[in-house]
Amino acid sequence: MVETVTLTIDGLEVTVPKGTTILQAAEAMGNRIPHYCYHPGLSAPAQCRLCLVEVEGAPKLQASCVTTVTPGQVVHTQSESAKTQRRGVLEFYLKNHPLDCPICDQSGECKLQDYVHEEGRPKGRSREPKRVLGRDDFGGDVLFYGDRCVMCTRCVRFMNEQAQDPRLTVVERGNRSVIDTFFEEGVEGSPYAGNIVDICPVGALVSKDFLHKARAWDLDRIPSICPNCSQGCNIELHVRDNLVQRLKPRDNPDVNQHWMCDYGRHRYEWMNRSGRLLLPKPGEGRHAGGNGAGDIALAQSLPEAGSWESVLGDLADLLVDARAEGAEVRAVASPFASNEDLGALRRFVDALGGGRIVFRSPRTDEELPLPGFPKLVRRRDLAPNVRGAELLQMSRVGSDDATGGLDDLVGFEGILVVMGDDLDDMAPDFGAAARVFAFLGPQVPRQLQAVTCLLPTVTHAETEGTFTNFEGRVQRFWPGLHTHGEARPAWQVLDLVAAAVLGDGTVPESAAEAFQRLADDHAVFQGLRYEELGTRGALVNDPVPLPGA
Amino acid sequence: MHELSPMAFAISSSIKVFLVFSVSLAVVAFMTLTERKVAGFIQDRLGPNRVGPFGLLQPVADGIKNFLKEETMPATANRPFFIMAPMLAIIPAVVTFAVIPFAAPLPTPWGVVGMVVADIPIGILYVLALSSLGVYGLFLAGWASNNKYALLGGVRSSSQMVSYEVALGLSLIPVFMLAGNVTLTEIVWQQQLLGMWYLFPLSLAFIFFVISAFAETNRLPFDLPEAESELVTGYHTEYSAMKFSMFMIAEFSHILTASALMATLFLGGWSIPFWSGDHMFWYQGMLISGFGADGAPVAAAPALWITLLTLLSFIVKTLFFILVFMWVRWTLPRFRYDQVMHLGWKVMLPIALAYVMIIAATILVLDQVGIEGFLFGAVLTLVSLLCTGIFVFAVDRDRIISGSTREPAPPAPRSPVPSGAGVRRVLPAGSPASGDL
Amino acid sequence: MPATVKVLRRPAPGQTSYLRSALKGMGLTFKHMINPDKVTLQYPEEPLELSPRWRGTHVMEVHADGRPKCVACGLCPTVCPANCIRLVGGEDDMGNRYPIVYEIDEFRCIFCGMCQEVCPVEAIHVGQHFENAEYTRERFVYDLDRLMQQDHPSTLLWDPSDPRSE
Repeated sequence: MVETVTLTIDGLEVTVPKGTTILQAAEAMGNRIPHYCYHPGLSAPAQCRLCLVEVEGAPKLQASCVTTVTPGQVVHTQSESAKTQRRGVLEFYLKNHPLDCPICDQSGECKLQDYVHEEGRPKGRSREPKRVLGRDDFGGDVLFYGDRCVMCTRCVRFMNEQAQDPRLTVVERGNRSVIDTFFEEGVEGSPYAGNIVDICPVGALVSKDFLHKARAWDLDRIPSICPNCSQGCNIELHVRDNLVQRLKPRDNPDVNQHWMCDYGRHRYEWMNRSGRLLLPKPGEGRHAGGNGAGDIALAQSLPEAGSWESVLGDLADLLVDARAEGAEVRAVASPFASNEDLGALRRFVDALGGGRIVFRSPRTDEELPLPGFPKLVRRRDLAPNVRGAELLQMSRVGSDDATGGLDDLVGFEGILVVMGDDLDDMAPDFGAAARVFAFLGPQVPRQLQAVTCLLPTVTHAETEGTFTNFEGRVQRFWPGLHTHGEARPAWQVLDLVAAAVLGDGTVPESAAEAFQRLADDHAVFQGLRYEELGTRGALVNDPVPLPGA
Repeated sequence: MHELSPMAFAISSSIKVFLVFSVSLAVVAFMTLTERKVAGFIQDRLGPNRVGPFGLLQPVADGIKNFLKEETMPATANRPFFIMAPMLAIIPAVVTFAVIPFAAPLPTPWGVVGMVVADIPIGILYVLALSSLGVYGLFLAGWASNNKYALLGGVRSSSQMVSYEVALGLSLIPVFMLAGNVTLTEIVWQQQLLGMWYLFPLSLAFIFFVISAFAETNRLPFDLPEAESELVTGYHTEYSAMKFSMFMIAEFSHILTASALMATLFLGGWSIPFWSGDHMFWYQGMLISGFGADGAPVAAAPALWITLLTLLSFIVKTLFFILVFMWVRWTLPRFRYDQVMHLGWKVMLPIALAYVMIIAATILVLDQVGIEGFLFGAVLTLVSLLCTGIFVFAVDRDRIISGSTREPAPPAPRSPVPSGAGVRRVLPAGSPASGDL
Repeated sequence: MPATVKVLRRPAPGQTSYLRSALKGMGLTFKHMINPDKVTLQYPEEPLELSPRWRGTHVMEVHADGRPKCVACGLCPTVCPANCIRLVGGEDDMGNRYPIVYEIDEFRCIFCGMCQEVCPVEAIHVGQHFENAEYTRERFVYDLDRLMQQDHPSTLLWDPSDPRSE
């Protein structure tokens, strides 16, 4: 049993565990005390002087970020003295601030803006000329605007405590103090340096990649999972104009705490790729319905888009015929597909008699751990759902750059299903020998002549579903972009075809139902419920034990 | 001064037909401009002033526009009638002008030419007959368009025409009684003889004639057949280009004819007031200027300058009424339909009848007493003034045109007698007065 | 302007007259008919005098060196109730933030002037201009160059002689 302490903050009693600071206690009851230097993931130096609150009995205002609660303490965050203090501190912060909100990328999510707007003086009284520092390239993705800095030193402490790679420090003293780098390379090469942009409460540190790209208030923030390695960091997609503009970490103490690596942070452009497959259609070289029996003129006139009904209906007819003649089934999956998609593929292949499912995944030899939070590592598998595919008895083939490994399928004559793999490295006649070649993916493949049936599917940014990360944690992601054309989630497409082939009418109508069927079908997912995954995820039944846990 | 030979009569008549027709059409064209100018002036604007000097070429521009515009034909319209309707509307309107004398007779080497296209003995009856025909054009247009607004406009137009024909005819009877004739030239002559425009001895008849003429020409405040705010544009909703233009020409021709009639019947026609030099009349085959003290006719001396002067007089009088038509249009709002019917049948018909009786009785008495000449007119003027005064100050008390809502009727007194047979029912407040159409 | 209320009472029944009132009305219209003081403005020759508060098509102010004053802060597309401003910000070779794309769809614009009010650098203005005729709809999407070339005066958004609009 945790020892608790009861105190009064702004007239309301609150009970918190012993050792909590006043600031955390206030936060727990929904009372945000303004602060800059305090960050839950970092040490608290109590140097911004903004979180000072009045504690009855104390001779002076106390820094709430470091003052731990004591029983019976009476705290006033809105007392006259606390407010006067905050107003004075904010006026000092603005003394050298350029007030360049119109051109500042932080504008809209800036704590200085918020606090001054709430409590600051309408006008500053300083008549001294403002200090001008200009901007500095800190290396990597980070730009530094010294004029906007409030000297909270969160960035310095992040590099010292979390990255454990001291690259930044405070130089000079007093009015002239400024954040600076030790060497010319700055934070270049530090794999987690992008986080200092996130934790900077003002616009002093901004991302070069995001510079001038969008205003903070224009962005839609959609909770998602980082698809760039099997760590499965919780992220937000920041979307504007149906394009992902940037990725930001989302708190999840079990996976990534408050951080994410720069590798994942900067790999979002593929979600915005154009040249998408928009409509379901038969492949250019084949006639889905005729299968050699139809006339040639008809076959040549058919690379046109069809409706889902007709294309899937034709595909189902072909599959029924092929199955009746005992054709073999093989499938190529993708570790970028969600658990629902993989489960549907497994079910589909099993329905057609069962066959080997392989997938190809990019891989690297290097792991990039965050020393301050060892659980967070940029994993070797550079795909979000390798573990999920493995749990569904799919086997990894090919080399570390996700190529090769499909040579045994080149002359394959049965039913070939490719889901999510772009087959970019394979020859244009890959799968030409296959009796039925169904291609599900967001992009147009090179094998247009060989494919029987092109079925457009969505990317994970456009739909909802789950990924299973390296340790077996099933985590949900939410749709952030509009789908392109007639694209549908792969599980829906596969389930519709499977239902048509089997004559079995049950087709899941939502990702939740698809996941439920996955959990029912496979022991490893048993007991998990989609709605209960929440924003923190849940472990599968045989998680990988973590080294530190 | 002799009459024309048949040949000269035919030639002169042809010339007159041509001249009167073309001049009246030209006047109609410029009336459209005048209407817009008057509208502009009344509303403190300038009116059209861009096409030509003072906008004088505006009618030409409008004409060209109407010729070039697309003729539309509703798919469900009755094609022959739809095409026929504008013609039926325009022909009576243009033809009516034929009997109106517009100047003193003109002496020519071939004889004296009467300045009237057709001096037919039944003059005014011809006018009444033809102007009634005009309604066929409007009603046919409304019906053939196969459009509910057009149909409503046509129905309104016909019922309005029928209602006000009655008042129009009744207001003319005193004129006939005074002139003793229905020939328009003789009516002018009688006014000259009396030395007084019929406006004065028959003032109430004049007022009724003006009101009826407004109703007959479908001008505000009687433009219910068009009624833009209710019926789009009424009977000519479906018409465009020249067909539409023909309805407009018909309406303005009606105005021209009505104005000329008012001038002729009540303002002495082409005669010039306070001057006997223009007294001219065909009497038993000779042109006389009056009768001597012995009752013998005195020959008149027609001259070109007299003809021109009288023509000017006629033009001024007619123009005055045309302006009154426009002036009224841009002043008064449109009546409600029930108000129009109320005014026509319940106010003008009985009062006009009573007025006919009064004038007839007065003339009878005066004839018996033997009063003639100016005194005769003066007595009639007094009687008419009395009647007009009664009409304007006694009858016109919320009775001619009633307001949109009446004051709520006092609550029915609670009768101790249970309601049933023999108990008068009080109409609920706001209901139209019983008997309103 | 302080409003004045004139109370009109419906006359008692039997007290009203149509003819006399109609004649009175005609007297009034006659007075106007002969009144030489007309209000018509001979428009193309006599230009309309616009109110200082008139809000017409936009003007983008420029610096002396020809750059637009806009810093692409994004407030005008944010505040625009008609959503008619498209803005893509960027950085020029001198490190200044500037609009790469700045388009106003004058057809969607409702001319509320909020873009001008919100502009922190007084770059975008609504102008005293109303003669907007084009042959195509596309021409009504004013791009940055077009906005910078507009030479009509910008609006004051308030009347200097009546700043509190009383």
